[in-house]
Amino acid sequence: MQYDKTVWQLLRKNISRGQMLGYALANVVGLSVVLIGLLFYGDSQNDNATEDRYFSQDYVVLSKKVEGIGFTAQTFTDDEIAQLEHQPWAKKVGRFTASQFAAKGSVIIGGKELSTYLFVESVPDEFFDIKPRDWHFRPGDRRVPVVLSKDYLTLYNYGFAIPQGLPQLSEEIIGSLPLTLRLTGEDMKEEYLEATIVGFSSRLGTIAVPQSFMEWANAHYAKTEPQGTSRLIVETNPLASSDMSDYLKTHNIESSADTSDAGNIARFLGLVSGVVGAGGLTICLLALFILVLSLFLLLQKSRHTLRGLMLLGYHPREIGRYYALIVVATNIITLILALSAALLCRPFWDQGLVDIGLGQGAVWPMFTFAFVYMALATAFDLFIIRRRLDEIWKKG
Amino acid sequence: MPQSINQISLSHLLPQVFRGMEAAERIRQSDVWLEADVTLSRGCRLCVQAESGSGKSSLLSFIYGNRADYDGQICFDGQDIRRLDTAAWCEIRRRHLALLPQEMRLFPELTVMQNLRLKNQLTHHKTEAEMGALLDRLGIADKANEPVARLSIGQQQRVAIVRAICQPFDFILLDEPVSHLDRKNNLIVAEIIAEEANRTGAGIVTTSVGHGLLLDGAQTICL
Repeated sequence: MQYDKTVWQLLRKNISRGQMLGYALANVVGLSVVLIGLLFYGDSQNDNATEDRYFSQDYVVLSKKVEGIGFTAQTFTDDEIAQLEHQPWAKKVGRFTASQFAAKGSVIIGGKELSTYLFVESVPDEFFDIKPRDWHFRPGDRRVPVVLSKDYLTLYNYGFAIPQGLPQLSEEIIGSLPLTLRLTGEDMKEEYLEATIVGFSSRLGTIAVPQSFMEWANAHYAKTEPQGTSRLIVETNPLASSDMSDYLKTHNIESSADTSDAGNIARFLGLVSGVVGAGGLTICLLALFILVLSLFLLLQKSRHTLRGLMLLGYHPREIGRYYALIVVATNIITLILALSAALLCRPFWDQGLVDIGLGQGAVWPMFTFAFVYMALATAFDLFIIRRRLDEIWKKG
Repeated sequence: MPQSINQISLSHLLPQVFRGMEAAERIRQSDVWLEADVTLSRGCRLCVQAESGSGKSSLLSFIYGNRADYDGQICFDGQDIRRLDTAAWCEIRRRHLALLPQEMRLFPELTVMQNLRLKNQLTHHKTEAEMGALLDRLGIADKANEPVARLSIGQQQRVAIVRAICQPFDFILLDEPVSHLDRKNNLIVAEIIAEEANRTGAGIVTTSVGHGLLLDGAQTICL
């Protein structure tokens, strides 16, 4: 059966435009807020940086507390490490391997030779925040790649170079400087290697060399017995961060978080999105409530007309189609407006998030939510219409 | 649904509003209420006569499936009408039973023709010309495009009669169809209804409080 304009004329007279507009407006506002919350959440949780991320997952470096003057190394036992690995806040635990030999680095800058004893460490590659080129070492190689803490470069450029009349250096220049590494073993055997600085890390406050180099060098030049692991790097689960503080305090462990503040910001933004989304959802539910009340009122006001049509032989389903058309059309318009509002609002935060390495999250969760919500809301509305018309058929 | 309704049978029928009054004089003397078997056959001409408040409109509403607040049983060709579903009732109201309610149930905001079309588009029983001709016979052809709200009660009654026959039927139920009509219009209505019913051998059941439809050969029963 087609929609008949005479039936439409009859049913339309009791439709309150104000009520429908009120519902549509409330729903547009509510749904827009939910969608903006969802989109913002997706953007704020999306790590958009490719290398040298400023905001990254949370990593902390753990070490035993040194008290007074200590001559014995404060190391973690295997049991302690195993226990740490089972903590809910620890996703992954990596060991720093310290050098057990003397290492001296020298470089010629501006005609002056700078040399210093160095400490070098290694951590498993998966804990690096950068992926430097040529990050490998095989026994027999004469070249060792090195990753420096970004803080060291800053310290050199601003705290050392200028007062000493030395040039400030960019990361690229540093990478091209010929650095010589002198290793001295227990038997005073010396080995000279060429070192290349291949990157700067924000996460690792150390001079890092490949794990394979460290294993080889320790095996050949160790002055002392292996001393165990004194520093650990842990990828943490942000949801259990309060458990972590308690655990560290209880076990006398110190932590130096690298970029956990960044994780906190992402978490805070996520929380804000959640609060905004919940507010929006509340408005949506209220809007749905308004519509259901309006439908009840509309069908009640039209009761006499509806009974008249049913007496002529009109099926409640046929009559319901007219109301369904109104609800579906209103909901589609609402959906389009709310989606447009959310997408139009995105530029307000997009650049800000991109600047800190976040943003540009996928939009499909927002679209999926919008369509599923609207489908459910529409199904609920249609169910109310159908049930009410059936009641009018039965009870008059 | 059957192709047609040939018999409507009433058994021990009593409006629930009359419960507890089974022994009352008016119930005991009724030809319908609480009777074990009252059968209306296709082709019948029946006038249900009674004073106001005796349940005439209720009886037609029960048969039309509009109300179910009765005790006893109503069957169409042996099938209890309480078991009919919504779709079956819609089909019956389009093809087998026509009703003229006492309160007419026209839509006052619509014109006369819109009211007729509202029924006819479900049944496609009459052409526009046929509907126009019926209005003409009843003297209201000039009101075809007037909103029903502007018509007198008598004119509205004639519109409702035309609408009632904008469908095929096995029985037509007319609740005080000529209560607001003069004798001349009463005769025209009777003629039109009889023509429609004779064409298909349908039954006519009409009610009145004394001023009834002047239908030839109608059997009168008391309610």
